[in-house]
Amino acid sequence: MTMQLLAKNTQRFWLALFIVMLLAGCGGRGEGGSSGRVVLENKGSDTLVNVAQAWAEAYREVNPNLAIAVTGGGSGTGIAALINGTVHIANASRSMKDSEKELVREKGHEPIEFIVGYDALAVYVHQDNPLTETTIAQLAEIYGEGGPTETWTQLGIEVPGCANQEIIRVSRQNNSGTYVYFREAVLGKQRDYKLGSRDMHGSKDVVDLVEKTPCAIGYSGLAYATDHIKMLGVSTVAGEAAVSPSTATAIDRTYPIARPLFMYTLGQPTGNVKEYLDWVLSDEGQCIIHEKGYAPVRAINCDGGDTTAEATE
Amino acid sequence: MFVATDLNRQNDKIQQRWRILFMVMTLLLILPVLIILLLLIIRGGPMISWTFLFEFPEQGMTAGGIFPALLGTIFLVSVALIASVPLGIAAALYLSEYAGDNWLTRVINLAIINLAGVPSIVHALFGVGAFVIFFGFGTSILAASLTLAIMTLPVVIVATKESLQAVPQAFREACWSMGATRWQTIRRIVIPNAVSGILTGIILEVSRTAGETAPIMFTGAAFFLPFLPESVFDSTMALSLHLYVISTQVPGVPEALPYGVALLLIAIVLVMNAISIAFRVYLRGKKKW
Repeated sequence: MTMQLLAKNTQRFWLALFIVMLLAGCGGRGEGGSSGRVVLENKGSDTLVNVAQAWAEAYREVNPNLAIAVTGGGSGTGIAALINGTVHIANASRSMKDSEKELVREKGHEPIEFIVGYDALAVYVHQDNPLTETTIAQLAEIYGEGGPTETWTQLGIEVPGCANQEIIRVSRQNNSGTYVYFREAVLGKQRDYKLGSRDMHGSKDVVDLVEKTPCAIGYSGLAYATDHIKMLGVSTVAGEAAVSPSTATAIDRTYPIARPLFMYTLGQPTGNVKEYLDWVLSDEGQCIIHEKGYAPVRAINCDGGDTTAEATE
Repeated sequence: MFVATDLNRQNDKIQQRWRILFMVMTLLLILPVLIILLLLIIRGGPMISWTFLFEFPEQGMTAGGIFPALLGTIFLVSVALIASVPLGIAAALYLSEYAGDNWLTRVINLAIINLAGVPSIVHALFGVGAFVIFFGFGTSILAASLTLAIMTLPVVIVATKESLQAVPQAFREACWSMGATRWQTIRRIVIPNAVSGILTGIILEVSRTAGETAPIMFTGAAFFLPFLPESVFDSTMALSLHLYVISTQVPGVPEALPYGVALLLIAIVLVMNAISIAFRVYLRGKKKW
């Protein structure tokens, strides 16, 4: 008798525990709705991710009820997430392809493009490398499929510390917007990269590797420059004056490998998304992107000085 | 009388040689653990402070603390446990105590073994497809934790099943012959005697869950979040992803910062493992056979 009663009680206990756990699992949604906070998902380009992070950090002060969740992964990752409808804003360092736009339209939305800044893609070499400038054509011969340039000697220089003078090409993984843009701007749309490059998974990784490798050449955002690496001036045609990468030369478009940075939304943004994008494009938001080493969309005055001034840090 | 022949002596020598070889190889195992720990403590130790543990990251995550990531890891692990432990224990109880040796049981066991062998990145993609998109949880703690739960279910099931099977059959038979039902036997005899093994399995799951990066990076972990998550439908920062991010993607991070995060992550795992060992020793002391 007692035994049976006990068994019944324990059974009830287990059942109750199970129900409590189920409720704990489902209760979350109600809780989320009751608080006034809204979360915006913002995902994509590794080039833009640090700016996006800085914007999100600063926006905490502007509107404490809007949380911006920032995730990297590459332009392709962000655009794929936009197509799947899992993000509000996708960051990209290249424009969306027509095929990608078509996929968004198939789901009943129109992708809307915003240019939020410009990025100069700097060409990096080791600081002991005597080279100071290069041309688009020269870069194409180094990086492009079938390009004959394999050694530094072919460029008429000798790099100290580089055994057998072989050029080590540092590139990016192929879902990176940087990879796609550099190919378009330097190799031309039809031409592929030469095989055998070191493909890094982040803008910072490229700089880190080139910094430590005397033989290396690499391309990455200007914002990732350090004191221990050399950036080459680039000219479009041999014989013309080479232009050094800087936010100033990116704004006035004299630096040849500067690209716009994008944010994409599903349909015309409204409400919180619109407010956030308006703020990103405002003077305050644009000064943050400038501070991070990218060029703002227009010449503006920030505390650190005029963005059109020569050679900004 | 025993006289050692040349052959004996030679055999002894060979014995000795193999023993030493195996011992050296075993000691080599400890070396990486020691080096990793020392390196982390020396480089990352000075980072650990109140500010580091309990404040938000600042200045583009190059300064301030890592509190949201720490809390996020705790959230992810807790929700994963809530989802996987009841399911895992129930499955193990069924497999060990109820299921007969038939084709269905064999298929289930095979499925569990295969689930354990699936690479974590595949779990991640499954999580995106199933939880983020199909069930519509979005990139959230819930989606990430369920992905982690599925990934670690085999650990819980196998550990629980093994500790249940370690309870001598005679205990059950004695209980049954007193007229107890199957469930009474499980509740009163089998589970109390197996609980140390079950707990070990759960804690092993915790330490694995805390360190995983791939399954959470597409399903619920964010690069940066200016607020703490408020419900399971928010995304979150996590220590493992934070470590990856600050060491590969953020320029200008002080060198000690990633080491500090790594040290904290390892400390959590080691503390969990220590608790598991202490538990086991305590419960083994109470064992009556």
